[in-house]
Amino acid sequence: MAGKEATVYIVDCGLTMGERSHGRKETNLEWALEYVWDRITSTVATGRKTALAGVVGLRTDGTSNAMEDSEGYEHISVLQELGQVLMPHIRTLAQNLVVSSTNAGDAISALAIAVGMIVKQCKKLQYARKIVLITDARGNIDAEDLSQIVSKMNADNMELVVLGVDFDDPEYGFKEEDKDSTKADNEEILRALCNDCATATFGTLAQAIDELGVPRVRSTKPVPSYKGSLTLGNPAEYETALTIAVERYPKVMQAKPPTASKFVMRGDMAATQPTQASSTLPNGEAGANDGLAGVKQARTYQVVDENAAGGKKDVEYDELSKGYEYGRTAVHISESDQNVTNYETTASFDIVGFVDKNKYERYLDIDRSNLIVGAKHEDKTTMALSSLIHSLYELESYAVARLVAKDNKGPRLQLLAPHIEPDFECLYDIELPFAEDVRSYRFPPLDRVVTVSGKTLSVHRNLPSDELQDAMSSLVDSMDLSTFGKDDEGNEAEYAPLDETYSPMLHRINQVTKHRAVHQNDDPPEPYEILTRYAHPPAELVKQSHKQLDRAIKAADVKKVPPKARGKRFGRKGREEKPLSDLDVGALLATDPKRNTKRIDPKNAIPEFKQFLSTGADDLAAVQDAVKQLKNIIFDWIKHSFGDSGYGKAVEAIRVMREEMNDLDRPAMYNDVMQELKQKLAKEELGGDGREMWFLIRKNRLGLIAQAESSESEITEGDANDFMNGKLHS
Amino acid sequence: MTDLPYRNKTADPSNHGGGEEEEEEEDDIDDSGYKTQKDAVLFAIDVSKSMLQTPTDADPKKPDTALCPTLAALKCAYALMQQRIISNPNDMMGILLFGTEKSKFQEGDEETGRGGLQYPHCYLLTDLDVPAAADVKQLRSMVEDEEEASKLLQASTEEVSMANVLFCANQIFTTKAPNFSSRRLFLVTDNDYPHAANRDARNSAAVRAKDLYDLGVTIELFPISHPDRGYTFDRSRFYNDIVYSATPSDPDAPAPLSSDIKAANASAKDGISLLQALLSSVASRAAPRRALFSNVAFEIAPGLKISVKGFIILKRQEPRRTSYIYLPSDSDKPQVAVGSSTLMAEDTARSVEKVEIRKAYKFGGETVSFTMEEMAKIRNFGDPIIRIIGFKPMDMLPIWANIKHNTFIYPSEEEYVGSTRVFSALQQKLLKDKLFGLAWFIPRKNAVPTLAAVYPGTEKRNEEGEQVMPPGLWIKPLPCADDIREPPETNSIKAPDELIDSMRVIVQQLQLPKAVYDPSKYPNPSLQWFYKILQALALEEDLPETPEDKTLPRWKQIHRRAGPYVVEFGEMLEKHYAEWQRENKSSVHPTTNGAAKRSQTSTASGAKKVKTEDVEDEGPSEEQMLAAHQKGALAKFTNPQLKAFLASKGGRASGKKADLVEAVTGYFETRMNVD
Repeated sequence: MAGKEATVYIVDCGLTMGERSHGRKETNLEWALEYVWDRITSTVATGRKTALAGVVGLRTDGTSNAMEDSEGYEHISVLQELGQVLMPHIRTLAQNLVVSSTNAGDAISALAIAVGMIVKQCKKLQYARKIVLITDARGNIDAEDLSQIVSKMNADNMELVVLGVDFDDPEYGFKEEDKDSTKADNEEILRALCNDCATATFGTLAQAIDELGVPRVRSTKPVPSYKGSLTLGNPAEYETALTIAVERYPKVMQAKPPTASKFVMRGDMAATQPTQASSTLPNGEAGANDGLAGVKQARTYQVVDENAAGGKKDVEYDELSKGYEYGRTAVHISESDQNVTNYETTASFDIVGFVDKNKYERYLDIDRSNLIVGAKHEDKTTMALSSLIHSLYELESYAVARLVAKDNKGPRLQLLAPHIEPDFECLYDIELPFAEDVRSYRFPPLDRVVTVSGKTLSVHRNLPSDELQDAMSSLVDSMDLSTFGKDDEGNEAEYAPLDETYSPMLHRINQVTKHRAVHQNDDPPEPYEILTRYAHPPAELVKQSHKQLDRAIKAADVKKVPPKARGKRFGRKGREEKPLSDLDVGALLATDPKRNTKRIDPKNAIPEFKQFLSTGADDLAAVQDAVKQLKNIIFDWIKHSFGDSGYGKAVEAIRVMREEMNDLDRPAMYNDVMQELKQKLAKEELGGDGREMWFLIRKNRLGLIAQAESSESEITEGDANDFMNGKLHS
Repeated sequence: MTDLPYRNKTADPSNHGGGEEEEEEEDDIDDSGYKTQKDAVLFAIDVSKSMLQTPTDADPKKPDTALCPTLAALKCAYALMQQRIISNPNDMMGILLFGTEKSKFQEGDEETGRGGLQYPHCYLLTDLDVPAAADVKQLRSMVEDEEEASKLLQASTEEVSMANVLFCANQIFTTKAPNFSSRRLFLVTDNDYPHAANRDARNSAAVRAKDLYDLGVTIELFPISHPDRGYTFDRSRFYNDIVYSATPSDPDAPAPLSSDIKAANASAKDGISLLQALLSSVASRAAPRRALFSNVAFEIAPGLKISVKGFIILKRQEPRRTSYIYLPSDSDKPQVAVGSSTLMAEDTARSVEKVEIRKAYKFGGETVSFTMEEMAKIRNFGDPIIRIIGFKPMDMLPIWANIKHNTFIYPSEEEYVGSTRVFSALQQKLLKDKLFGLAWFIPRKNAVPTLAAVYPGTEKRNEEGEQVMPPGLWIKPLPCADDIREPPETNSIKAPDELIDSMRVIVQQLQLPKAVYDPSKYPNPSLQWFYKILQALALEEDLPETPEDKTLPRWKQIHRRAGPYVVEFGEMLEKHYAEWQRENKSSVHPTTNGAAKRSQTSTASGAKKVKTEDVEDEGPSEEQMLAAHQKGALAKFTNPQLKAFLASKGGRASGKKADLVEAVTGYFETRMNVD
């Protein structure tokens, strides 16, 4: 949890700030505001009432400040009193932070005003106090009262940050040529001021703006998820048990991007006002100035009732109680028995045994990691914990322990791994899977091919040749990142270490919301470079490994499957459909008297449809006939469905028809059927209002076959989308 | 469309594929697409005279070995049914007996009176459906009550038509499980040559088998041999015409390992009963589940792209969520209520279409909003991809670098021919040199991108030679700076070497078997208990008394093997701790409220016990509390103070202030009573 903070920004609005220096597109003030807005909106985004900000305009046209009657305080305006900044303040500030028509106004006086604001607001309370001065240092600066201000600032622990427009900064590597002498003198005054302050930063604005893209990581106060003992053996039963007082904290906790809420245009505005690109509105209040209304979910419940229309009846929420499903049986659990399914446990952390670190498979980690340290003021057991940590480390072992974090929580098994730093030791713990958590999937080996006849092959098209193995090996070696990065001193270091990577979505959302709050009518900006930096291998690495890459590509000889061929592979043509024995079932089918009539039996519709197509695929009339027959069967199922009993069959038949027609390059036949079906559903010609059937079609994505899917199709993507998303009853 | 039944998204907590949308915004339409990702299994069990004959060499000590094959198959089905209710609550199962004297088909047909005539000597014991408690009960009475079983298990004198059996199965699948991604017929028989004298009948069966194949039903054969009678099942006589090699309907299903269909022995020749053999055979044919993602591009380096599929092999399984249950006033049969939700505008309560919705973020007391189009653009970081940006040694992947379960990937030839060999070359290289690839990972469209470690896994087989973990690569999403928490302030006390040596001996004594963690040895005790209770409630049985918990440490063994060393360690700890105290002179700690407090120093020799009560040190003293209690002024303490006090007394420390005050009051009242 972050502490209370109070920051006053002094923004120079003088006439000279309207210039565009050094070939920049924006004015110096706009450039400076990039920084100011980012900082202020970052504070606003925290939503914390104890994160205060204030803004003082320097060299403004008007004068409005606590000392406005005194000499030397002209052209200084308090634009935002120190307090929690909210959206209306941002709007007002945006109107007031503009270039003035004067160059008068003393930066040191503004500093005095800022100090006064902080003193008044924060008194002697625990605040992190900070003043940020942004100026081009081209106004007059009266350095007389400096010492007094500095001593007040130091006494109150105020931090000072001075950011100058085009100030010289040898460390950053900027020097302004032909600097005018006033500015040079002023820069010196401000630099000296910073040297006198206990905590101060003096820098050039360009650097500050460069660093805006580096996300700030929010720190969270560690909260223990378990406090108690870690035991080896059972102290209740045996004298030989070992008990260590520990505390367990999260090590990793995913920071989630803020969630958006849903809104719609308000009913009375929807008709008249086209959708705006941007708007803001007070929290969830209907009737706000932007015409948006909140969206809520209304939930209804139904149970099966054979006597009701449609086979279902509505029930009120109040009539329902909690329970579970066992298979398809509803199991009602009365209020008093709510806990009967709970497995009773007491909080505990027990070591089960030890395993070999080198045999541990990392995929067994199934949840985020935590860390375990000795409990505060339990020095003796902390020493015992240390001996456990060190012995695990020396033995290259991990412990497995059973954790019940709280009474009546289900036990979990955790892996405990030692971690040792010079001044810090802990066990990391990661949840292990139970038997139920492992799903059985089987795949053939990758280093050999076992044939149906049981032979083991070491040369096969699915196995890499020696050349490919070798090429892959040198490619991988050439793409080594372990020393590709640079540390602060410019030495070789790991590239993209975890603590220099940032959550792309979290900071992207923060970036665009902050941007939109200030620039309501602009398109969201491009993502910060750092958010997509690791989306591709570093260019230099690619360059240095290109020889190895070329060789690997050649040895790999990978060929993209043309989209056309892909569908075919699962169609009739690519596959010999014979049972294990190679019995010619096709011949048997051909002689079957029932199937010779070419009438599809609705009871066996899908197999017979497929079989007719496989014998008569080249005969257009035969295909048409088969499709027509299946279509009628589908319509019949829908029409005579009791409840939704026939819909499932219909959906399956539609799917099969879609796949087969796609394979046969006859999308139009399928598309025609679907268009006819939709019409019939809309006209309620197939029993009921057709909505449920239509929902199933959408849910199963049985839309039209569009051009992207089949080059033979005459349906565009747009048509296909309209078909699927358009309302059934228009 | 507003009436989306929300159960489609939420009803399957154990799911494995489609429900993986936690990071994504909800999509317009359920993402699972195309076919329902469910499995329907129909057992077809032969009830011939020979199937009803108990083995002659049964081991009297093992009752399982005395089961006749039909009953063994039923028991296997019973076990599978119970198991699937837990692990795959939405999957269907049915049991069809064939060759019985009696005939019965689905309920609906009985009204017409045609049921029995349609499929003679086929008896549909359990219709294909998600099992109900009644089905479990019925099946149990069959396997546990011989009399009950013998009523039904009467072999017909007339040979049942296999074509009919297969068509009967066809009809059951067609009507009860349309559109399932996996439909399987488990055929259990010891007759390798039905219709021995009738070629036409055999051909009809082959035609009906082809129908099933075209319908997308896989026939899984469970052949049975009788070694005690010198009979070995020969698939080539008939069943090779019936069984097809792979599931035709689902190209996304992982290719099965070419496992031999070996006939199970009806008699326990090598100590394995038929039931055991069937159970393990069934387990090895777990339903092919759909891939988490299919044909995602895997870019090993710019220009070297292959395609892979992703699977979730390991994921925490949660107990079923509670459902809303409706108890009709006129009946005692509870029903599950199905909820559906509609989006409504708050101002006019009109229903809202998805396309009208705008997204807004809370900001500075108001909201900042974006159109859906803008939102889509903002969230778009490109197409799904696993793109390696370079490689690092495995020891640069710290053990704590894990945020959730890992995803398994395996090559697919569908997009890029040659994917398998390239994947294999990479996997072998990473294994050999202990490396991982750092990758930019977008698993699905619009999913949040993460950096991930791509690392190799080897194939693992159990003692029977069955694969328990497939070979491939794993994707471990990595935490970024925002996710890494600072450790708390600690007072680090390094143990002296002698003490570490003493602990080493203890660690060495208590290795798990083979020094590895084997998940299959540890069922989740609370999950098992949950389903045991649920089953008892559903079947209206007595509730079980004692839960089985295999996660509990083997205390006795620990005591026996490590006990003496722990005592030794305890003594050494006393010694070193005393030394440490002398050196650091810090046995007295100032606490935050200014009082001094001695840390725990004396414990019984040998076994050390530290009471957890002393961990909390900020609570008010008992005297202060008692005084306040007597004055009725407990409320003047802050919640943390009250909680700390309660915690130090071992009481429950949670809830609102009123609850806490009440708990403290309760503490003093009971204590006084005792006094």
